[in-house]
Amino acid sequence: MARPDKYVGLNNEVNGGMTTIGKIIRDARVFGLIGETETCEGWNFAGVDGLLDKVNKEWDKYGCLVSNLPPELFEKHQSIHGQAIEDAKAAGWCGEAETDDEK
Amino acid sequence: MAKTYSAGVKEYRETYWMPEYTPKETDILACFKITPQEGVPREEVAAAVAAESSTGTWTTVWTDLLTDLDYYKGRAYAIEDVPGDDTCYYAFVAYPIDLFEEGSVVNILTSLVGNVFGFKALRALRLEDIRFPVAYVMTCNGPPQGIQVERDLLNKYGRPMLGCTIKPKLGLSAKNYGRACYEGLRGGLDFTKDDENVNSQPFMRWRHRFDFVMEAIHKAEAETGERKGHYLNVTAPTSDEMMKRAEYAKEIGAPIIMHDYLTGGLSANTQLAQWCQDNGMLLHIHRAMHAVLDRNPHHGIHFRVLTKVLRLSGGDHLHSGTVVGKLEGDRDATLGWIDIMRDSYIKEDRSRGIFFDQDWGSMPGVIPVASGGIHVWHMPALVSIFGDDSVLQFGGGTLGHPWGNAAGAAANRVAVEACVEARNSGVELEKEGKDILTNAAKHSPELKIAMETWKEIKFEFDTVDKIDVAHK
Repeated sequence: MARPDKYVGLNNEVNGGMTTIGKIIRDARVFGLIGETETCEGWNFAGVDGLLDKVNKEWDKYGCLVSNLPPELFEKHQSIHGQAIEDAKAAGWCGEAETDDEK
Repeated sequence: MAKTYSAGVKEYRETYWMPEYTPKETDILACFKITPQEGVPREEVAAAVAAESSTGTWTTVWTDLLTDLDYYKGRAYAIEDVPGDDTCYYAFVAYPIDLFEEGSVVNILTSLVGNVFGFKALRALRLEDIRFPVAYVMTCNGPPQGIQVERDLLNKYGRPMLGCTIKPKLGLSAKNYGRACYEGLRGGLDFTKDDENVNSQPFMRWRHRFDFVMEAIHKAEAETGERKGHYLNVTAPTSDEMMKRAEYAKEIGAPIIMHDYLTGGLSANTQLAQWCQDNGMLLHIHRAMHAVLDRNPHHGIHFRVLTKVLRLSGGDHLHSGTVVGKLEGDRDATLGWIDIMRDSYIKEDRSRGIFFDQDWGSMPGVIPVASGGIHVWHMPALVSIFGDDSVLQFGGGTLGHPWGNAAGAAANRVAVEACVEARNSGVELEKEGKDILTNAAKHSPELKIAMETWKEIKFEFDTVDKIDVAHK
């Protein structure tokens, strides 16, 4: 199967969006790097990689930890990620899937 | 009168079945589980196993006359029923220490699990346990540093250490791989780890990976004030290449490297362990391929034997199974080989599948690594079962956190510290685990979300290989 050269978009993701790229997009929304309705559908992977770089730079300011975020960003993070977890669970995702392939 | 050559076939038991024999302190003892072909007497098969794993041949040949067969032969000295299974029985064999090269688990295994496993008189054969006499133990190099030296090197005391395997399934370049390591270490892990099958593939060559990972370690150490490590997998197609990678890891300041001791081979492992000892490096050992050898209850090599072999060959960490979680592992048997890894002296205890007393002398211990299929809800049980001298390794249970790697790491760090604090104040961890975690989560949003992501789930699957039933 040929590797896709465009990202399918957060709303069309597997695992209800609980993926590495899904997290990049949600964090980018938290830090205001993209709009809160931007799903990155149709972006190429260089674009997503560039976004990851920006997200990482933001996280570096707070030691990568949500509990270190200032109150305003913390609330925004809670809201965006909380909704995403609810949506993912409704789409059938559960945490157990994350340990399925371990040995 | 001088010995003379005589041709012909004779029964093994005439030479190798010696029920009156009392094993010497210096003998290497082995317990085999034998499933014979029908109609072959027990004593004959036991003697055949002793013979074919030591000096025996079907006929007396002239070379027997050059060595003292009576001194070097293996002696089958006892037979026991296997409780709950009348298709097989245990045979105990004693081997003189001089039958084997000093410091060579390779030589011992070549005899004890060599041609004998293809012997026609057997339907199946399993090496259940070996007693290594302390006289032989002292000829082996053993773990490069040992538990206490590792704690001193890393300045980590009084709690289990935490790790996480970074999965290549994430589609990571070496740079992004290093970033994932940094996030895990920054979030509170002590170690991150290469997957056992990550060596130096085209998608990520070893040198790039080592460089980016070390950058991650330095950054995490600077920000947290803690020593951090990553198990850089130096397993390679040749031992020369393995050593090249190990040397480079040392050159860039890595505190710990990793080897797949079964697929990489015991000669390579022993070489690497000795080098680590000489160079102040820690050595993490993965056991890929063990289930091929140890999972069938009637054939192969029990993991407690593979554990002893690794302690002699050398390694500071060894994957042990988890007991809890979704992977295979009988609790009593696992506790048995965890003791074999860490303790100086282990008493025979059939309830845990230990057939012999084992004296390790002053050989350092190996830290058991609980890895695979575990998450934050398992923490109270893991701390209770494994104690402080262990590495608890959450892969999916870290990287699968909905907020990301650092959040997953922080959740596990908060959970382990809460469990240790509770245990130290006399709380029963497995009984009060839920309350301990719930209270800790009040101050850690990362732990709260982890507890909502993974639920308290009991895995009811029975284990395939468990202690023979009547010993329970």
